[in-house]
Amino acid sequence: MRHTIIAIALLCAVDVSAATTYNDDSCDIGVTPAATLLLPYFEVDIDKPPKLARTTIFSVVNTSQYPQIARVTLWSDLAFPVMNFNLFLTGYDVQSLNLHDVLTTGAAAGMLTAPGDRSLPNDVNPNHASTLCDRFALPPDVLADVQAILTTGRGAACPSDQAGMAHTAAIGYVTIDVVNSCNVTFPDSEAYYGELLYDNVLIGDYEQFNPDPVIGNFASGSPLVHIRAIPEGGPAGVNVATNFRRTFYDRYTPRVSPHVDRRQPLPSAFAARFVQGGKGAFNTNFQIWREGLSGGRTCADYKKNYLGSAAALREFVRFDEHENPTIRMSTVRILVPITYSTLPAVSSTATSSGIFPPLSNSGDVGGWIFLDLTNPAWVTSSMNAEGRFAVAFDAQTLGNGCSPSAPSETIGPRVNTTP
Amino acid sequence: MLCAVAADAATTRNDDSCDIAMLPAATLLLPYFVVDVGSPAAGAKTTIFTVINTSREPRIARVTLWTDLAFPVLNFSLLLTGYDAQAVNLYDVLTRGTVPQTLSGECEAGGPIPSNVLDEVRGALTVGRVTNCGSGAIGFTHFVDAIGYATIDVVKSCDAVFPTSERYYDELLYDNVLTGDYEIVDRNPIAGNLAAGSPLVHIRAIPDGGPAGLVTRTSLPYTFYDRYTPRTYGGSATMDRRQPLPSVFAARFIESEAGGLDTSFQIWREGVTNGSASCRDYYDRNYHYLQMKLTESERFDEHENPSGFRCRALCPAPYPHLPPTSTVPSSYALFPLLSVSGGIGGWIYLNLDNGGSGTYSSARHSQNWVVVTMSAEGRYSTAYDATALANGCTPAPAAGATIGPGPNSTP
Repeated sequence: MRHTIIAIALLCAVDVSAATTYNDDSCDIGVTPAATLLLPYFEVDIDKPPKLARTTIFSVVNTSQYPQIARVTLWSDLAFPVMNFNLFLTGYDVQSLNLHDVLTTGAAAGMLTAPGDRSLPNDVNPNHASTLCDRFALPPDVLADVQAILTTGRGAACPSDQAGMAHTAAIGYVTIDVVNSCNVTFPDSEAYYGELLYDNVLIGDYEQFNPDPVIGNFASGSPLVHIRAIPEGGPAGVNVATNFRRTFYDRYTPRVSPHVDRRQPLPSAFAARFVQGGKGAFNTNFQIWREGLSGGRTCADYKKNYLGSAAALREFVRFDEHENPTIRMSTVRILVPITYSTLPAVSSTATSSGIFPPLSNSGDVGGWIFLDLTNPAWVTSSMNAEGRFAVAFDAQTLGNGCSPSAPSETIGPRVNTTP
Repeated sequence: MLCAVAADAATTRNDDSCDIAMLPAATLLLPYFVVDVGSPAAGAKTTIFTVINTSREPRIARVTLWTDLAFPVLNFSLLLTGYDAQAVNLYDVLTRGTVPQTLSGECEAGGPIPSNVLDEVRGALTVGRVTNCGSGAIGFTHFVDAIGYATIDVVKSCDAVFPTSERYYDELLYDNVLTGDYEIVDRNPIAGNLAAGSPLVHIRAIPDGGPAGLVTRTSLPYTFYDRYTPRTYGGSATMDRRQPLPSVFAARFIESEAGGLDTSFQIWREGVTNGSASCRDYYDRNYHYLQMKLTESERFDEHENPSGFRCRALCPAPYPHLPPTSTVPSSYALFPLLSVSGGIGGWIYLNLDNGGSGTYSSARHSQNWVVVTMSAEGRYSTAYDATALANGCTPAPAAGATIGPGPNSTP
């Protein structure tokens, strides 16, 4: 259950130069060790037995010889931070978590274990404030509340406001950050930025399973989104200058030091392939993570992450295999009621949904869709066919998170700015 | 005729980064393909890849299929109109000779591959033999499975020149506009019934843009096509301007006979043959235990218990080595054994540097790429790229060095 931390961290306001050699000052998101990992979408059938339940499994690896602490935060699909726990990773550790286990038992691994022969002792990370890490276990009433928020969007923390969308499965996203202690602070608290570390040492992947032999019987997987701290290294709570003009945690960071997290920003324009229909009964879903618009200071804020003009999508254009374009666009029209196409902070939407432009009348069942999601985002294409084949891979980004927005009439690769 | 002028880059789209990211690129690499050319389509394993032109201008993409010993065996061009997407099922290419038809002027290429040529191509990719090479093996033998890798480059014409030829670099363009993905589908309901997919490897030209054949300064210390680029008549070793690939990876594994869990690594490695290689060189050099050795491999289980090998100068021959492309189970003896802890999962550190080669333009590490494929219970399968622990501009660590992320050098 969410803990309300009201203490404000003592963030050093001094701009100091980066004391690091591991700094390529690039906005490009690659699959390289990072300080934050994003699981952009999870879906878990918490009301079904493990043999039939859809679930999401993710793994986190510490690629360094130093011990690291990774703070795992589960968010609802309206970007409400629901629960968190810590993984104490000894040097070269790997930990896998099945979210079905976490969300049905309220427990997860993460205890401090003895280091291996090539790992350094568990108390040598100079940036750790503490290595006291208890095994994570949620009391039953708190677990029930977590389940309620992730499935119905309602919970004790926000009894009269939607903190998530309603669906039978638990749906949301996960962030995993290197931190300096096994505290329970959330990223939407300013105190979090007194704990956040900057070591690009974590890697990870995730798999989505649908074991139901009737409606699923397949799995797909992808790397987690690897978000680096640039420059990297150094202790928590120090406001080191970064060349980024915005950062991943931008909307939560203290206003006196908005880029204190130093995390790479995500891009907003994507090219995502689809195949839909045809003899193979193909389906494509886009799993879309979007930066919420609300800093989430009050319960009433979370619905802003789905409703209204601020959550509008800028432009989608579908190209079939003969390059025939079809469009759907949010436009601002004076004195005319406006219907916005919106998506919440995280969603899985079939490409046959009305939110995307329709198929052309060429008869083509495949092609790609240009997505201008307005805000920093991430898109994964998940395809399945014949009830037995499934693949998932990240959509291509058409620029990095430092690229300026392009005029809507120009679809194509953007300038990959080096910050 | 290569223009000998070293010009500054006339481009605004240049982030001078060695990092391989999923951004539109000038070269796409399909690091491994497998096609069962001996079975009917309904039950055959195949690899399907898709190439998208994300720009509104038309582009020509040259697809080159290479054997698993890096012998270039077939090429064809895709004329991509603005915003085009073309899917290529390699089963169709290798069994029916079907390549996507293009219908524009000088690019009236495509159409069926003549049957005699197709036989040669299949022979090269399945048993490693082509008529012109006599008894020299230019690929491994894997019976009905055609195995190799593919490169896809933006070029200026629908010519049929291969990347191994210096003339190729008169045709190669530099526009970072292509994206793509691939799927490996095993339709056999008994042995397979699985599919796995991943993005192609997106290799950008830095700086991007400009005409073919122009030697433009790049900050990259060496490039993807380094061993094939022209060194004479005004050429330049870095003239392709393609980002180099890394050499050090972290790849996760899970393996358990009881749970039916398997992991295999699809490993692409830069060979050591250049454009003047003879037929015999492909086997003798691209699978040589010294020239294609692995530097180090270390397995960490879920309790961080390490087990590994390091190949320093005096380690006993034959060294662990791998050809330019292969799929290798993580349980294979090439990799360190599972620890005795009983852990069935963990990750493997792979330093795939071959130690360099005289065909490379400088003393440098070799380039590599690793994809992790996991399967379970004959019904689940996933594939994704392993994590590079540093980019291609970062020198590979020596055997026995501290394992960890490397400095991601900006060129």
